[in-house]
Amino acid sequence: MMTDATQPKGRVEIDDVVIRFTGKQGRVTALERTSHALEPGTFTALIGPSGCGKSTLMNAIAGFVTPAEGAIRLDGRAITGPSPEVGVIFQQYALFPWFTALNNVRYGLKQFGLSKREEIDRARAALAEVGLEAHADKYPQQLSGGMKQRVAIARTFAVEPKVLLMDEPFGALDAQTRLVMHDLLLGIWRKHKATVLFVTHDVDEALLLADHVQVMSHAPGRLIRHYHLTQERPRALSRSGNELLEIRDEILGLLHPKTMLADAL
Amino acid sequence: MAVTEHPGTQNSATPRFAQLLTKGLRSGATLGLPLISFAFILGIWTLVGLSGVVKEAIFPAPWSVWSATVEMWQNGTLQTDLAKSLGRAAVGFSIGGTLGVTLGLMTGRVALVRTLLNPFLNLLRPIPAIALVPVAIVWFGIGEGSKYFVVSYTVFLTVWFNTHHGMQYVPETYLRASRTLGASRLREFLTVVLPAAAPHIFAGIRLGVALAFLSLVAAELSGASSGIGFRLQEARQYVRTDRMFSLLILLGILGALADLIVHWIGKKLVHWEQG
Ligand SMILES: Nc1ncnc2c1ncn2[C@@H]1O[C@H](COP(=O)(O)OP(=O)(O)OP(=O)(O)O)[C@@H](O)[C@H]1O
Ligand SMILES: [Mg+2]
Repeated sequence: MMTDATQPKGRVEIDDVVIRFTGKQGRVTALERTSHALEPGTFTALIGPSGCGKSTLMNAIAGFVTPAEGAIRLDGRAITGPSPEVGVIFQQYALFPWFTALNNVRYGLKQFGLSKREEIDRARAALAEVGLEAHADKYPQQLSGGMKQRVAIARTFAVEPKVLLMDEPFGALDAQTRLVMHDLLLGIWRKHKATVLFVTHDVDEALLLADHVQVMSHAPGRLIRHYHLTQERPRALSRSGNELLEIRDEILGLLHPKTMLADAL
Repeated sequence: MAVTEHPGTQNSATPRFAQLLTKGLRSGATLGLPLISFAFILGIWTLVGLSGVVKEAIFPAPWSVWSATVEMWQNGTLQTDLAKSLGRAAVGFSIGGTLGVTLGLMTGRVALVRTLLNPFLNLLRPIPAIALVPVAIVWFGIGEGSKYFVVSYTVFLTVWFNTHHGMQYVPETYLRASRTLGASRLREFLTVVLPAAAPHIFAGIRLGVALAFLSLVAAELSGASSGIGFRLQEARQYVRTDRMFSLLILLGILGALADLIVHWIGKKLVHWEQG
């Protein structure tokens, strides 16, 4: 218990958490007993095979799912449901199609009871941060996938959450757009200093972005390996020497043990 | 350089023109296609009338129907009947539609209301409007009350059903996004749940308009002293098939117009659904 008042906020404690679902075939464990802490302001990437429970863990931190055992705490207080302290970026953007980009951002600002002028100014500033000020009055359907996700990022950061959860946020984007989004995300994150948990299938993406990479096992998932990355950003796998490439091979081996074996033969 | 420039200019110029052209053709087609169909049917009808193979009393020719229309217009019954019927449909539709949307929102969102009402309302749904007419007459007499009741009942059930189901299809991620953005439940309801359900609600309202006409005529056929349904019944007694045809065609045109208007309003309000 190291909760100190002077410490930056946004510490997520995952304490002996087990998550189960009751489905047609009875109870299924979606997440094995897991304990872990996300330190304030860190960027953690979560990687693991499909169905291992990455989204489940994230949904529990967001307050969408209640653990069967254990507790998740944010700065010492148990998470009992969704709150604006924990922002979420969804793979499918989850923008409201009946609102313009600007009004999507304003939706999250309503809770602060600002004057209309101030609310619009702040929403515009948030859109400017992601380079979309020129598209403020467009509807989501008029924007590309990358632009939609930028609006979603602006909308979430505008609320100043302590924790930011991203579930394969760039999974639906092409490789080129993804690289742009990486720079953009790192820039905004550096400014706002939220604690980030970022789920991805892409090992390279994890290595380019994160301070910490957590690898999960096959279902029912648990955390099996942790890497602390201290390389300077912006990173490039080729430029960062062999270290990142070695980690990459190790993670790929953990994710696909059989392929590794086949390669060795 | 010139090689790349050429297709570039062509690309920017041709689509604009082509776009305008196809747009023009398309709107022409949407207006024109039904007209072709109407002209076709009218043509056949005229031929049948000219050939004289069918008795006028059974199947009147177009010109007979036209003169019957003029006749009803000149003696003033057509205007009063139309006004009466449209008024009834409008009142019944307004009551039923308002109740349907309100209750649909409630059964869609409040578990207690859903438990109390859904099984009962689902039981009512298969009962056709015409079967309700005798009960309506006992309850509300032969005046306007029974007409309003039959129409609003029919409209209500359809609009309720569609609204209720629309509420079930509000995507979970919208609600999740809303809650992580710190929205109050009221704001979430008004600005997320309602718009997300709006396409379904409008589908229900559109059906409701069609059903308002159906149930109105059912109500007017038995027990009324004015209105299109009453006039149809009267025409049967005098074997005025020409008047019947005229009234039926008018009914069809009015229904189609009402549907067009509601569809157009829905498209304007639920503007994000296209594309
Ligand atoms: N609401 C639910 N009801 C029942 N079972 C669920 C539910 N949500 C998830 N599961 C199950 O929990 C397990 C973990 O699912 P989860 O979505 O967390 O996996 P994931 O790691 O995010 O996979 P992916 O990489 O494919 O997104 C799966 O077996 C899944 O079927
Ligand atoms: Mg997932």
